Amino acid sequence: MKTIVISKFSAAMFAAALFLAAGMVGSASAETAADNYSLYCVQCHGTAGTGKGINAPYLAVAPRNHSDAKAMGELSDANVALAITEGGSAVGKSTQMPAWKHNLTAAEIKDIVAHLRKMCKCTGAAK
Amino acid sequence: MIKRGITVFALALLLAVPSAFAADGAAIVKPCGSCHKLAGPAVKTIAEVKARKAPDLFYAGSKFNKDWLVGFLQNPTVIRPAGTVYSNNIKTTGDTDTVAAPAKCASKLSAGDAAAAADYLMTLKDAKMKTGVAKIGEFSKAKAKMLIIKTEACNGCHSIEGNGGLSCPTWEGIGKRLNPDWVYSFVQDPQYWDPKVWMGKRDLDDASMQLVVNYIASLK
Ligand code: HEC
Ligand code: HEC
Ligand code: HEC
Repeated sequence: MKTIVISKFSAAMFAAALFLAAGMVGSASAETAADNYSLYCVQCHGTAGTGKGINAPYLAVAPRNHSDAKAMGELSDANVALAITEGGSAVGKSTQMPAWKHNLTAAEIKDIVAHLRKMCKCTGAAK
Repeated sequence: MIKRGITVFALALLLAVPSAFAADGAAIVKPCGSCHKLAGPAVKTIAEVKARKAPDLFYAGSKFNKDWLVGFLQNPTVIRPAGTVYSNNIKTTGDTDTVAAPAKCASKLSAGDAAAAADYLMTLKDAKMKTGVAKIGEFSKAKAKMLIIKTEACNGCHSIEGNGGLSCPTWEGIGKRLNPDWVYSFVQDPQYWDPKVWMGKRDLDDASMQLVVNYIASLK
């Protein structure tokens, strides 16, 4: 009896270990917020983060100026994270702000929110 | 003596293996490896993406239409208005970014060599890509543009019918370049092809995907 229980347990452990290993090989590695911003966001929000990226002249809506303490301060951290995760349409903004949930992990998005708070030198609205 | 014998034998083997035809195309494409990745897998980190000199070619046979390849390899045009990796080609003045000078493809093959190189590139296929998924035929261009411009805002990054972003490939002539089945696969899951690509994966159903692939295939 006991041995069966142990082997079941170890089989589960083994499966879990495999699962973790596969996840680590299969998914792209985590990056710093600055690196993610420089590849995914700069194309529209610009190197300076002020909304003047190379795509900006072709957008119907200006990308948010991430260094604007007033505009960024009006958005809660949860709102900012949701906009990044699900795109502008999820927060009642333009669909020209894309969803990044398939490019970035939840942890990476959290890091980016903190990075944006440094750029605006502001804290988010409570809600 | 024995050593020399082995060397000669190894050389003979090396020469005997590839058939004359395959050797042509493969040999012409080999030097292109100084800029292009000719064997997978794709790189997985942003640092590696930023070191990329030219687009990956190890799945060229799944991605391109052969006729387009033959023409392009003789006389390359600009596909990516801001270069292979846009962030390497930015000029910042004050706080405004503009595009610096992007690098074009350096291929300048004769018609014969281009045909042989294209034949070889067409053998570089991704074994897992589903084929026969794109159903090219009649479609509503108005519905397609509604989806592509209004709902999904693909023009934020791609120049579509002469208007749109600069950070990735233009759609000018894209229907001539790309295999519709590959377009279907790429738009469904861009990260499958390039884990750090700066385009998001969408959750589009098959009917929407058919609009996208048909519209793209029509841009010749
Ligand atoms: C294709 C262009 C584009 C890209 C790429 C892009 N954005 Fe945006 N973003 C926009 C636009 C346009 C808006 C303004 C939307 C509006 O005000 O309706 C915006 C708005 C925002 C906002 C404000 C949301 C709000 O509720 O007001 C945040 C935060 C943001 N973007 C973060 C990011 C981050 C982080 C990235 C990179 C992971 C990124 N964006 C990439 C175009 C883009
Ligand atoms: C000096 C570097 C360099 C060399 C050498 C070079 N290329 Fe390129 N190639 C590029 C760049 C850069 C691009 C991207 C151009 C663009 O998007 O406008 C490109 C684009 C391409 C494309 C289109 C890829 C795509 O995904 O759109 C093909 C196909 C191609 N090259 C084939 C070749 C072949 C075959 C050779 C050798 C005969 C070759 N190249 C040699 C730099 C190079
Ligand atoms: C945030 C920017 C962005 C948006 C928005 C975007 N793309 Fe892309 N797209 C890219 C990038 C980056 C690539 C890959 C670049 C490369 O191959 O060098 C790409 C490549 C492609 C390709 C292959 C192009 C080629 O010529 O090799 C297709 C097809 C495509 N996108 C379709 C779409 C569609 C359809 C939409 C809207 C549903 C869309 N894209 C929205 C950034 C974007």
